[in-house]
Amino acid sequence: MQSELKRRGRPHRARTAFTVIAVIVTLFSVFPLLWMFVSSFKEGKEVLRANPLRFFPSQWITANFQKLAEDRTYPFWQAMRSTAFVSVSAALLSISINSMAAYAYARIEFTFKTLLWRLTVLSMYIPGLTILVTSFVVVNNLGLLDSYWVLILPGLASAYSIFFFRQFFLNMPMAVEEAALIDGASRFRIFYSIFIPNAKSPYVIMGTGAFLGYWNSFLWPAMTVTNQKYVQVMQVIRSYNNVYANNYGVVLAGSLLAALPPVLLFLVFQRYIVKGLMISGIK
Amino acid sequence: MAKSRAAGLSSLRRKDHATAYLMILPSLVALGIFVFTPLVMALEKSLTDWQLYQGTTFIGLENFRIVLGNSLFRKSLENMARFVLMIVPAQFVFSFLFAHVLRGMHQRAGALIKTAIYVPTVISGVVASVIFLFIFHYQGGILNWLLRQLGQKRIAFLAEPSLAQMSIAVTSIWMGFGYNSLIMYAGLQNIPQSYYEAAEVDGATPFKQLIYITLPSMKNTFILILINLMTGTLQMFDLPYMMFGGAGPVNSTLTPMVYVYNNFKSAEYSLGYTIASALLLMIVIGALNSLVFTVIGSQKSQDE
Repeated sequence: MQSELKRRGRPHRARTAFTVIAVIVTLFSVFPLLWMFVSSFKEGKEVLRANPLRFFPSQWITANFQKLAEDRTYPFWQAMRSTAFVSVSAALLSISINSMAAYAYARIEFTFKTLLWRLTVLSMYIPGLTILVTSFVVVNNLGLLDSYWVLILPGLASAYSIFFFRQFFLNMPMAVEEAALIDGASRFRIFYSIFIPNAKSPYVIMGTGAFLGYWNSFLWPAMTVTNQKYVQVMQVIRSYNNVYANNYGVVLAGSLLAALPPVLLFLVFQRYIVKGLMISGIK
Repeated sequence: MAKSRAAGLSSLRRKDHATAYLMILPSLVALGIFVFTPLVMALEKSLTDWQLYQGTTFIGLENFRIVLGNSLFRKSLENMARFVLMIVPAQFVFSFLFAHVLRGMHQRAGALIKTAIYVPTVISGVVASVIFLFIFHYQGGILNWLLRQLGQKRIAFLAEPSLAQMSIAVTSIWMGFGYNSLIMYAGLQNIPQSYYEAAEVDGATPFKQLIYITLPSMKNTFILILINLMTGTLQMFDLPYMMFGGAGPVNSTLTPMVYVYNNFKSAEYSLGYTIASALLLMIVIGALNSLVFTVIGSQKSQDE
């Protein structure tokens, strides 16, 4: 009896320890976000009277959000709209061109295929830092500064994305495709009606990834757009951080709203994203 | 019949060349314009004293000589090394350990925790900076509240060089923890359970199982994580720029990326010089990554 208790006791204790660690780590991850959330509803002075024991606002107020909407120098909602337009169109374009290329690399034989593939993979190994300045020179020479083009185009083609789609397409069965080819279906037709409908998860994973990359980008927009019409939301947050140094609730409110689309998108597609991570973690 | 079908197929194949090129064209053009053109331009212009809208003179390796002698550039390299030492081992060990915790969780609780720890990963560096500036805030920061509760004096986390670096490291670890833990967890889950069962039968201690099964089986995962972490840390920009406006107290948060950006913005140096410093960093990144590959040793090649 006692020995059985002992034997059961150890894994039980280990499990308790694991649970405690898990709870602490999860708190570490989530608390800063919750703290931002509640603080952005606090009145100016209360924000800086940090006291996690008085976690919730003594009075929920929306003044910080109103301040954002009223700011004329750095219009918040204008930036949100512009960022949404850029991120959504870039994500859609990005999965279109990358998956199409991936299909060709995975399923069609053509001259110089190996060479072009190697070149594509090579581009993965060029750090952004190295080509930051000359990328600016290129878009400047093309006359693209201060436009949606300069925000959208440079990040569209992604060797990583092509690589990911190609891996998925390589594993799809040959039979259906061959039958369709014999029936005279075009490659584009096959791609659209057989491959795309059966590749939901890579599309979701890469689409979400592209959206997040664009939505969260700061350095490239800061270098290339100054016109209010094109300014991205992270640039605006950066400006608020300077302007509202004495009214931190406003900065937090802006950050909260700017963080919502990525978080919501992740929560909607988390099943796919976590699965995608599992795949890339094993490769 | 059979013959015409074969002929049909081979004519299809011939047409495939055109279709294939059409399909890869958009991505190739985009990579050509926005990756390879800037790369070639960087290699070429680094050997000149080039400025926008001005003529250029070929000056050979002069830029590289000046960069290497520049004390700010050296400082940025030193900071970079510090950030790598602060962030990479900590993130690596934490995520490796936490992957084991995740494996020991019940399915439902595990799924919930995976979601929770992954949320910070989708937050931008700018927003993360705002949050942690708030947490480290001198007056209203939660850390200083804690110190006060313990009867200690407030600490100016953001004003003292080594603490400023630590603040960035903490923020960076917070942002990357979920991603790295899940990758580690995937690597862990991929090890066949039978290995451990066999080891158990042979009476191997948990420590031996770790050394002889877990660590060798996770080589590729380790490489992926280390390379991601190093490449990310070496090019860190958003956090130092956002939290400290770039250089920080006594240039302690001046990363190479900030150095390059500052030079690009100011007219103090030629663009050729700025590009040369960026190229040097590519060499550093490449060297460190190949070091990871040689030390850990991959079992599979990258392609195919």
